[in-house]
Amino acid sequence: MGAYTAQARGVALGILEYRVNVLLGIVATLMQLVALLAVWQVLLADSPVQGFTWPQMQAYLLVTFACGALVSTNSDFRMAFRIQSGLVALDLVKPVDYQRSRFAEALGGLWLEVVLILIVVTSAAALLGGLTVPAGPALALFAISMLLVVPLKFLIVYVGTLACFWTQSYMGVQWARIAVMSLLSGALIPLAYLPGWLGTIAQWSPFAGLTSTPALIYIGRVGFGDGMMLVAVELGWVIVLWFGARLLWRAAVRQLTVNGG
Amino acid sequence: MRIYCRLLGAHLRALLEYEADFWILAAATVLMQVVNIVFLAALFAKVPSLNGWTFWAVVMMFGAVALAEGVGSLFFEGMWRLAWQINMGELDYFLVRPYPVVLQSSSALIGINGLSNIVVGGAMIGAAIAHSEIAWSPWRVAVGVLLLISAIVIKLSINLATNSVSFWLSSPSPIFAFAVHQVGDLARFPLSIYPAALKAGLGIVLPFAFVSFFPVAYLLDEGSNRWIGLLTPLVAVYCAAVALTVFKRGLRRYESAGN
Repeated sequence: MGAYTAQARGVALGILEYRVNVLLGIVATLMQLVALLAVWQVLLADSPVQGFTWPQMQAYLLVTFACGALVSTNSDFRMAFRIQSGLVALDLVKPVDYQRSRFAEALGGLWLEVVLILIVVTSAAALLGGLTVPAGPALALFAISMLLVVPLKFLIVYVGTLACFWTQSYMGVQWARIAVMSLLSGALIPLAYLPGWLGTIAQWSPFAGLTSTPALIYIGRVGFGDGMMLVAVELGWVIVLWFGARLLWRAAVRQLTVNGG
Repeated sequence: MRIYCRLLGAHLRALLEYEADFWILAAATVLMQVVNIVFLAALFAKVPSLNGWTFWAVVMMFGAVALAEGVGSLFFEGMWRLAWQINMGELDYFLVRPYPVVLQSSSALIGINGLSNIVVGGAMIGAAIAHSEIAWSPWRVAVGVLLLISAIVIKLSINLATNSVSFWLSSPSPIFAFAVHQVGDLARFPLSIYPAALKAGLGIVLPFAFVSFFPVAYLLDEGSNRWIGLLTPLVAVYCAAVALTVFKRGLRRYESAGN
């Protein structure tokens, strides 16, 4: 365990070197927040649409921003580079578990993301004139679901990056993942707005846990019972993906060819 | 022009070596636009219009941004490498060749995702035009084409100007340009929904609104102040001049990498 803590600490200390990159990673998410706030303010000015009121949508979008900014330090790029260049061979001989190492690194970068999220969310809440905080049980459920976003998002990105063992470039895979994630997680638009069949697929997919679940719990759109169910689904996907990723890793390493040099 | 095509052609051939990747990239770009369309369709299924703008008008704005971005990726992707070229001293090679440095830099890379963005963006604009009631006349067609070209020039100029900032910042990656590019995504929505400060920012400081909103508003003959769309060519000339000046000023500061 000590090895992983050390790795996490290493990233936590080193991340300030890349503070501009971290900021940059958040600019895209921030711009989406600005655009969607403007869109919904216009649409919800007079009456709620599909049961969402303007204050609810504000909170939804702020939670969306927080979820988007979590685990966004682009360590996947480094991993993709190491796989494609063959440097991953060095990782294979290290006496640590590859998946746990990457997770430890993701956890290390978390603190800076949380700081940035708090800055943006508090200033946005101040600009928008306050934010309602849900009551005790819902708040606790929201916190659990936000905590689960961290491993869930890490795993989805990790599994996507493992595709680099089969492809030559990472960009296409990354873009496709981002596109699917933004739609099926409810980050672009709440899942309730999607056509019924697509909404149902999205709701049971691993992506819903990335945004929709914590956001709906926060704004009180789902009650405590339904919220518990959604969080259980989120947790289920974390477990499935954690072990699924191990199987995928095993298959990937088996067909890895690294040129000498 | 001929040389430029040959430079790009070389990169294209290199790229096609990895055919599977080519298709993954193309499919991913299309998927991103499909997601945008699904988002807009889902939104407008529940509301009739966004601040007076219909589904098709907004699709046209999204399409214009995608098309301009596509042209940038396919023909001028090298601009995004400028920071790296400066940092690594790669501009040395360009400086001794008898061909404009800015063109050598911008043709140093080809972004094949641009092709699918051009196709999908064009299709979005086409579909939007088919669903709108524009009274077409030869004059209107000519203006439409002129506005489209101007919009693309503006996007390219902003890319060039912001990437040229790398002459002053010593970072090997175009962080500033990338951040500005993200701001440009705001212009996919009608400018009228934003607060005044953002309107001024996107209309004047970084005229992204002239890539999509103003030309579309003029063409569809909708919204207040639709005449502003006619200024697009002037804005394009201004942006191109500023971008080239920034690049030249920057180039004068360039002092290789020292090896």
